Amino acid sequence: MSYCVNCGVELDKDAARCPLCQTPVVNPVCPVDTTIPPNFPVERREVEPVNRRELALLLTAMLGCAGGCCVLLNVLFWWREMPWSAIVAGACAMLWVWTVVPLLLRRVPSLVLVGLDLLAVAGFLYLIALAVDGLDWLVRLALPIWFGCGVVLLFLWYILPRRSILSRCMLILGGCVVLMLWLELCIDLFLGSYQPMWSIVVAAVGLTLVLPLLVIRYRPDLRREVRRRFHF
Amino acid sequence: MGRRGGHDKGWFQLDNAAMMYSAIQSGNYSAVYRFSAVMTKEVDTQALQRAIDRTLPRFPGFHVKIRKGVFWYYFEPDDSPGPFLQKDIQNPCQPVYFQNKDQLIRFFYYRHRISMEVFHALADGGGALVLFKTLLAVYLRELGEEIPNQEGILDVEEAPDPQEWEDAYARYTRKRVRLGRSDPKAYPCTGTPEPFYTLNVTMGFVSVQALRQVAKGHGASITEYLAAVLIQSILARQRREGRRRELPVALAIPINLRPYFPSRTLRNFILTVRPSIDPELGDYTLEEIISQVHHHMRLHINRQEMQGVITRNVFFQRFLPLQLIPVPVKNFVVDLAYRLAGNRPYSTTYTNPGAFRVPKEMEPHIQHMEVVLGQSYAPRVNCASISYGDTMEITFAGTVKETDVERDFFRTLVRDGLHVKVTSNRRE
Repeated sequence: MSYCVNCGVELDKDAARCPLCQTPVVNPVCPVDTTIPPNFPVERREVEPVNRRELALLLTAMLGCAGGCCVLLNVLFWWREMPWSAIVAGACAMLWVWTVVPLLLRRVPSLVLVGLDLLAVAGFLYLIALAVDGLDWLVRLALPIWFGCGVVLLFLWYILPRRSILSRCMLILGGCVVLMLWLELCIDLFLGSYQPMWSIVVAAVGLTLVLPLLVIRYRPDLRREVRRRFHF
Repeated sequence: MGRRGGHDKGWFQLDNAAMMYSAIQSGNYSAVYRFSAVMTKEVDTQALQRAIDRTLPRFPGFHVKIRKGVFWYYFEPDDSPGPFLQKDIQNPCQPVYFQNKDQLIRFFYYRHRISMEVFHALADGGGALVLFKTLLAVYLRELGEEIPNQEGILDVEEAPDPQEWEDAYARYTRKRVRLGRSDPKAYPCTGTPEPFYTLNVTMGFVSVQALRQVAKGHGASITEYLAAVLIQSILARQRREGRRRELPVALAIPINLRPYFPSRTLRNFILTVRPSIDPELGDYTLEEIISQVHHHMRLHINRQEMQGVITRNVFFQRFLPLQLIPVPVKNFVVDLAYRLAGNRPYSTTYTNPGAFRVPKEMEPHIQHMEVVLGQSYAPRVNCASISYGDTMEITFAGTVKETDVERDFFRTLVRDGLHVKVTSNRRE
């Protein structure tokens, strides 16, 4: 029999390493016996996991029914002159992308799924614009705002998980500032000329919060002091 | 056994603990535990299958299907053939999938080892051990041995006793309910998760006599001593992580209620106690941890306090607005409540079903006993132990890659002068 030199426990005759600390067994008097059957079976079994395709199918059927019925009602009975069902069907399609696609594409990175969700939103906006004859505001207002929100969201989605709490706060605040500046720019250009006002106030407040956080983040003494004062 | 329980209609209600286990059972939580007996001879599979077929009719509460009603799950007798003996697998205690109509009780064999896995909604360890002991006796009789019906072995020729299937929680409920306070969050003791469907099992074998002497030297019982060593190992792990603020380390230790509230039930009848150590108060030596665990258990394991907890649990089960919630919503609520009240305040679980006693005619045929707990929500190890003869078997099982908790645990036993033999199903 062999003992682990680190843990002091007796090991199986066929153990080549200690299962507790992974120290290899080197015992010239009693070498590892690989001929005896192992103490535990080697065959693994995996229970069939919950079938997410069934849930995806159920959601698809529900959303498809809702969208399809509205289109039929629109075409056959109510307000035939106005394509209101396009908005409902578009909403169903957007919900389908948000809920069913993550169930079907389980190995795809979440960043790609968020990108798909954003594309679904763009598609929905396009359908609304078509239904209410508003391609003008779509191109000049809605899509630029969508673009700004999308870029900030994707950036934060990518960068936040690997950051400390301080960095996250700074990045979220910074993202909000950029978004507000972009929002006012889009609205002002849509209405006439760019005259920045409220977004500058938001940006000033945001930067006043971000800059101290930035200093705290990169000055170890300050960081320790803040931790001491604000510990919880 | 009232009309409300549905026993006269061929179905029966889940007890209080079973409701929780059936609600929280999922792909990443396995409310399944396993008892194994390692025999002195290789398993005769045909004799064992015959023994299963003869034994199960005596235990109708184990041969059931779980069905989903509108407001609750319920059990229905399983008329299908089986359960059938299966070859053992490397990753035991796999979750039960209700949708797949999985068996709630499974039997396995591997060389000298006979294993039985039970879904916790059916019975607690005390009840399952009665079935397992009776099964081993019937198996040995099939091999030609004379085994008397002693030491808790039931006569399989007798008709099932309805008292063995009573909901003992409901029987010992008081009229006045006192709502308890929630326990604080404990150190979660999680590690790197293994790929799906892995359960790492590490077993240690210690002499019961030697262990008792060591525990006695510390002024504690074996359970208290092992629980204290486990707490110390988890405290050391938390210290190594270098957390800015250390959380209390708390164990969930199931207590068999039958000695305190007489009942012959084989279904669930357990509650948990929660010994804990808060490292924010300062460093504790092993002696001090043992003392804390010892006094905590003596203080809190009493009839009145436990009856209060039973009453509170059953009150929620019988509260009409909660009863009227449909099963899918109820599952979600119970699952959330379990995560907050049943998982969050505990670092891990340690269970010790005690000594496995058999008639002396059976003793030469069994080498030792083993017990394994299924995987938790979080990737962490659970600890369980069972003794047979002079062998105490201690199992660490979990879906975590690291081995530091069990390593420190067994090293402490070695430092206390105990001889420990370790074996594992981990692949190198």
